[in-house]
Amino acid sequence: MPLVKLYANLRNIAGTKELSITGASLGQALSELVRQCPALDGLILENGQIRPHFVITINGLNAIDLDAVVTEQDMIAIFPPIAGGQSNPHPLPLSLWESGTPFPHRGKGWG
Amino acid sequence: MTGWNEKILDVDLTTQTYKTYPLDMEMARLFIGGRGLGARLLWDLVGPEVDPLSPENVLIFTNGPLTATGYQTSNRFSVTTKSPLTGTVLDANSGGFWGMQFKKAGYDVMIVRGKAEKPVWIEIKNDVITFHDASDLWGMRVFALTEKLGQNNNKRNVLCIGPAGENLSRIASIMNDRERALARGGPGAVMGSKNLKAIVVEGKDRTQIDDPERFKFLLYETRKLLAASPLTSQALPEFGTVVLMNIMNNIGALATRNHQQTQFEGAEAISGEELTEKYLVKNSSCWACPIGCTRISKTEKVEGEGPEFESTWAFGAQCGIDDLPAIIEANSLCNDLGLDTISAGSTIACGMELSEKGYMDADLRFGRADQLAPVLEAMAYRRDIGSDLADGSLRLATKYGHPELSMSAKGMEMPAYDPRGMQGQGLLYATSNRGGCHMRGNMVGPEVLGLPKLIDRFQVQGKSSFVILHQNVSAAIDSLVVCKFTNMGVADEYFARVLSSVTGIHYDTGEMTRVGERVWNLERLYNLREGFSMKDDTLPPRLLNEAPADGPSQGWVVQLEPMLKEYYRGRVWDENGIPKKQKLEELGLASLI
Repeated sequence: MPLVKLYANLRNIAGTKELSITGASLGQALSELVRQCPALDGLILENGQIRPHFVITINGLNAIDLDAVVTEQDMIAIFPPIAGGQSNPHPLPLSLWESGTPFPHRGKGWG
Repeated sequence: MTGWNEKILDVDLTTQTYKTYPLDMEMARLFIGGRGLGARLLWDLVGPEVDPLSPENVLIFTNGPLTATGYQTSNRFSVTTKSPLTGTVLDANSGGFWGMQFKKAGYDVMIVRGKAEKPVWIEIKNDVITFHDASDLWGMRVFALTEKLGQNNNKRNVLCIGPAGENLSRIASIMNDRERALARGGPGAVMGSKNLKAIVVEGKDRTQIDDPERFKFLLYETRKLLAASPLTSQALPEFGTVVLMNIMNNIGALATRNHQQTQFEGAEAISGEELTEKYLVKNSSCWACPIGCTRISKTEKVEGEGPEFESTWAFGAQCGIDDLPAIIEANSLCNDLGLDTISAGSTIACGMELSEKGYMDADLRFGRADQLAPVLEAMAYRRDIGSDLADGSLRLATKYGHPELSMSAKGMEMPAYDPRGMQGQGLLYATSNRGGCHMRGNMVGPEVLGLPKLIDRFQVQGKSSFVILHQNVSAAIDSLVVCKFTNMGVADEYFARVLSSVTGIHYDTGEMTRVGERVWNLERLYNLREGFSMKDDTLPPRLLNEAPADGPSQGWVVQLEPMLKEYYRGRVWDENGIPKKQKLEELGLASLI
């Protein structure tokens, strides 16, 4: 079975760094990955395509074709951009910037 | 005019006098500020007869028209000088708070000339410039000195050198705001050669904005764009730049053990994920930056900013070390001593290879985390083996008869990306005007991350056009001056719009890129005047001749020659890499030669 390695926040979302999955193609492997880790549903694939800015490699070479063949010896690595991103619902007033006040960091994913 | 202060502060340390005079606004329009303006001034001030460590060399501190406006990341500033490491034109820029404060003090440029008879530090409070005796400060390290001189992030900011700069290490940095660095190319040694220990700034002026309503709108729009980009809103804040470690290792482009391999078996142990899980205390940010990529890390021995990806790589994979606490501590030590982490780490790695192969009588060994701190101390104070390492890897490797083991371009140590797995990066290193550098443009976006679109990283033909564009855009952003990370979420056209709203001068995207091209060609002319030629547009033999034995980049070397020919044609330079007259006329540079 191909080995899938997850990076960055995908590890927290999936609850694991790596897992072995079945699948004869990259697309099948990713579908199986989502089946085993439902929390990843919608994060990696969107409308049947790899989401923008995700980097997926097979044995270290970039893979963009979901029909790419994978074998038991292959290692699939998935790097998120990190998933998501959202507009800031509460922009700071301009006066705060101009006063020289340092940006009040709000922890993870400031937006 | 708005945006610029229209004023230059010109300091002569020999006489401890200063004068102020108007900035040439036509020059400002053409070169904007930061790196571009610095290069243009250096062209007039420092010729090929000047030794970089002589009183005749100058330090040119510049900000830009956006600096201190509150536009996102408008905190940065530059220093320009002739590099004591490479002999080329050198620009280094830094974030934090000092650049904002310097702009608020009422100046666009500060030129520092001459050499003080005894150590001095300079205090700037708008129009009041004071020279202080620094005899009792000479020898102090950066952290203690920054605190002693009254660092207060929004009111008073300290820029200084540490022992490495005092001892004229050619890889010494200038530090500001405690842990931000004008790092590369040895500007700290130039400052040390002038007996200048620190520059402290307090400012109170506000930058005037031509069209405040349009500016506010663009500020708001930029915030939305940065928040909408997963890179600037989540990847960088959550994992910092070290998030690149695993991906570069995975694709076989992580230079390892002085570029002897392209994958490091210990990469996971020094990754951004590991740093975040075990050593991250909190995030921090520069002035007016919503991205907040700065890491505050803590080990049993130190707590402070960093390490960034390149620093983690330099003391990690490049030295074969997978001990993350030791790397964090080495990074902190470099900040305190005033050493460039990339050059320091890569020079130690070069020493390790020289030593392991028996070319140098020393016990440096790859993987020895315990050697990092003592060797860095020795480098900063030029003690024992450190005296050999203090001037960078090329001088070290040359001394021991093997210059080919210096992983540098034009004498500056290259960063983490092994170009055998990224052909465009190889061309970028070879043609960089300040030497091996990832900040004169970086092909990791298109060749690895798919930004804006993924291109084949092993492809050779056609790669030069991407490199040229990245170099030009990089030079433009460095001239604004803003942080390049904003460009991950904000398109170039926004910078042109913001610049127009602040200055009242119409810039479009094409003109912005042309400014970058103008700066790049001027820097090229400077290096040609210094005696550099196409033979210097090259890489270490290892990268041209030794293919990795395994991994995803197996069998690849950098195919430099065809890319370089294409690059010269694309730049409208002749076959010897000299800009053609028509290009110089088009850029308004023909009158300089």
